Amino acid sequence: MNQPLLKVSSITKTFPGLRALDGVGLEVHGGEVVAVVGQNGSGKSTFVKILAGVETADSGTVEARGPDGTYLSGAAARDELHFIHQDLGLIPTLNTIENLSLGSNDGRSALLPFRTRDEVTVATRLMSEFGAHFDVTVPIVDLSPAERTIVTIARALSGWTRPDNVLVLDEPTASLHGDEVGRLFHAIRRVRDRGAGIIFISHRLDEVMDLADRVIALRDGQVVADYRSGEFDHDALIRVIAGRKLTESRIERQQPAADVVLTVEDLSGASVRMANLAVRASEVVGVTGILGSGREHLGELIFGSVPPDKGIIRLAGKMQKTGSPGRSISAGIALVPGDRKAKGAVMTMTVKENLTLAHLHPLRGRAGQLIGSAERQEVKSWIKQTALRPPDPDRQVSLLSGGNQQKVVLAKWLRIKPRVLLLDEPTQGVDVSAKAAIYELVARAADEGSAVLMLSSDTKELTMCCDRVIVMRDGVVAAELVGDEINEARLVAESLGLPHLGDESPLIPQENSTYVSR
Amino acid sequence: MSHAEIDQSQTNVGAAEASTDPVLVPADGTSSLPASRNRVLDALSFRRISAIYILVALIILFGLWVPDTFLRVDIFRTMLDAQALTAIVAVGLVLPLSAGVFDLAVGASVGAGSILVAWLLTSGGLPVWPSILIAVACGLAIGVVSGFFVVKVRIDSFIATLGMSSILLAAIQWISNSQQILNLPADFQKLGTNELLGITYPTWMMLFLAFVIWYVLERTPTGRKIYATGGNIEAARLTGVRTGTVIVCCLAAGSFMAATAGILTSARIGTGDPTTGPSFLLPAYAAAFLGSTQFKGGRYNVFGTILAVYVLAVGVKGLQLAGAPIWIPDLFNGIALLLAVGLAKTQAGNTRARAIRRVMSKQSADDGHAARTAH
Repeated sequence: MNQPLLKVSSITKTFPGLRALDGVGLEVHGGEVVAVVGQNGSGKSTFVKILAGVETADSGTVEARGPDGTYLSGAAARDELHFIHQDLGLIPTLNTIENLSLGSNDGRSALLPFRTRDEVTVATRLMSEFGAHFDVTVPIVDLSPAERTIVTIARALSGWTRPDNVLVLDEPTASLHGDEVGRLFHAIRRVRDRGAGIIFISHRLDEVMDLADRVIALRDGQVVADYRSGEFDHDALIRVIAGRKLTESRIERQQPAADVVLTVEDLSGASVRMANLAVRASEVVGVTGILGSGREHLGELIFGSVPPDKGIIRLAGKMQKTGSPGRSISAGIALVPGDRKAKGAVMTMTVKENLTLAHLHPLRGRAGQLIGSAERQEVKSWIKQTALRPPDPDRQVSLLSGGNQQKVVLAKWLRIKPRVLLLDEPTQGVDVSAKAAIYELVARAADEGSAVLMLSSDTKELTMCCDRVIVMRDGVVAAELVGDEINEARLVAESLGLPHLGDESPLIPQENSTYVSR
Repeated sequence: MSHAEIDQSQTNVGAAEASTDPVLVPADGTSSLPASRNRVLDALSFRRISAIYILVALIILFGLWVPDTFLRVDIFRTMLDAQALTAIVAVGLVLPLSAGVFDLAVGASVGAGSILVAWLLTSGGLPVWPSILIAVACGLAIGVVSGFFVVKVRIDSFIATLGMSSILLAAIQWISNSQQILNLPADFQKLGTNELLGITYPTWMMLFLAFVIWYVLERTPTGRKIYATGGNIEAARLTGVRTGTVIVCCLAAGSFMAATAGILTSARIGTGDPTTGPSFLLPAYAAAFLGSTQFKGGRYNVFGTILAVYVLAVGVKGLQLAGAPIWIPDLFNGIALLLAVGLAKTQAGNTRARAIRRVMSKQSADDGHAARTAH
């Protein structure tokens, strides 16, 4: 096993306004688990997309060892790679056997009946090879997330003609709980022991430590660390991943006022359990946490589009009825949802129609009609303030770039002059220049008195924009950072529950320093 | 959207993105002129109003083919009147479709309105206007019940209204004993046949109702909320639109229109016919779908729908006068629907792809430039 199964060398990929990957290379040998770690936006997902052939690299090569030992590239190399994406690609209403057989072609005619009993035996045996024991005849929806992932792995492996292929797992643990992760790792180790090379993409460091034989860290599209098993320790790795000299300065704003606008007491529902927090007028408060920490549901719970199980929401001390977006809006609470396409904008309607939809009342004439000229004038002013490109009020929103779509959604809510502005991943899928414009708009809204709650997994934008950052873990507020405490290393450490890290300032580890295993 | 405008705007991206300076004002000013000219051209393009061009082509075709029988005023007057009821149903259908729900019970609602009013006038012994009011109210109620199943019970509208349709058809058979209800009062029949300024009452009724619905959809906040609900129900809900209310009201209004058409049908033929309803379903859907390809580029709309009703009617009438066999109307309607909607789909796809390509190529060129100057 001295020849690598997969050789990736100096891949570079540039998107409009973003260098996603910059000379990334790695090798994967048989019987080895290589973990690729990094923050959001570090280039992990672009890397996977290039491996999978979804994106084409600007330069660099991907070569995989073929059956006869020679190296293949292009589509032939991709045949040697097997992918498991975050969205597992199973059909939830079908059972394990049916899902397994969808990918395979065992040479039987499509019209011959299934040999049910054989299939059950085969599938059960297959699952037990991965250390999983469950009923293969129940629909996939009734399985646990780890079991689903194992089915996917089994399906990916069923296409292998020999054991030493490469399996790529893209964030496979994102939806799993602690003990579930253990079961999945057990299955992955079985695959590795059969001689396969495994690439494991993740942002959850603690797990990677358990599993990986090698860890490769990406930051801003570059490989910043490549450690063998036994060389790495937690602290160093976190600093390497988060480590970035703060080149961007914080956005300067006036001091928040003293009066508390939004109070959340014991809010529970979805992944949130008993969250408590308060936001003052003109204050920008960040909320971060890994997926599953509650961060991703907090906005919708406060807004009421996901009705909370319990909890009290006060606006300037006055209790609000929860669970109704309409009432929240009339009380002055606005939510910019995380999923722009599904929840943020009506993509089939125009910029103008989207911008005014939240508050059409003041544009009404005496006959109940919309006053077109007033609407157009107001929309034009917002287009100018947000520097929308192209500045066309009648353009369908689906034809705008992601950043400009987000500006429309943001402007829709700024237009109602919200007392509380909830932002859920406000710059996801947004290019750099539009990001700056969005931060600017948010800062201005705060200066004008809005209480801003920014839910984000992007630690960089939190350090840039926030007066205070709340870190959530397991559905509760786990930490609160103010002022100089807000730096990326600290945020990452707190999110992962390693609060003793990140206090020291030197973020970049020295060259040639050795790392001792703990 | 013109080339000029895109180019103008793209050159400013770097400069104006982060700031809100009046840098944009010249971009606005210089591009407004060619943009407005292009809007007019766009509005007259085949893509926008293909049905008008087809209408003209059909009239010329049949004018040359069968000039003696086709080019006569009374032919067009009969067509206007005969299709008014289909148009009422189709325009009513625009509302639920715009709100993103199907109403497969419109045909049965026509039948229900038609048979109920006939039954009330004869067996019920009620005077004309109370009978009409009750029948119309029944139409509204049908829509509210459908809406209840769609919104509260969360049954897919396709299934909920299919079920409603079947129940209504049963009710129609029950009320009428599966027989025609004859001898409706003359006062009532007048409503279907009398004329004002040379145009029949049903046509006036159609024009009036179409105007009301056009006004609501195109000119009021309510219309915006209806289209938003149909466009993305979750985004609409998160923007404070009461999507449930919107859906129920649209279904109710659609059934109301259908019941009205049913009442006028009974008045016109002087008979309550239990089999008349379902035949309205397909023409109404064909017109609404075809209409959605007109004027508004993919949005269901009133003018497009009425236009579609009459384009189809002219085509069918012309073919009949030219001696085509009896099955030709169905064939013509089907082919016209598939062609028009199919063409609109492919064209929309092309325009979109072109626009994205333009923006992307320009943007990456800009970025390349910016990167070079930065280094």
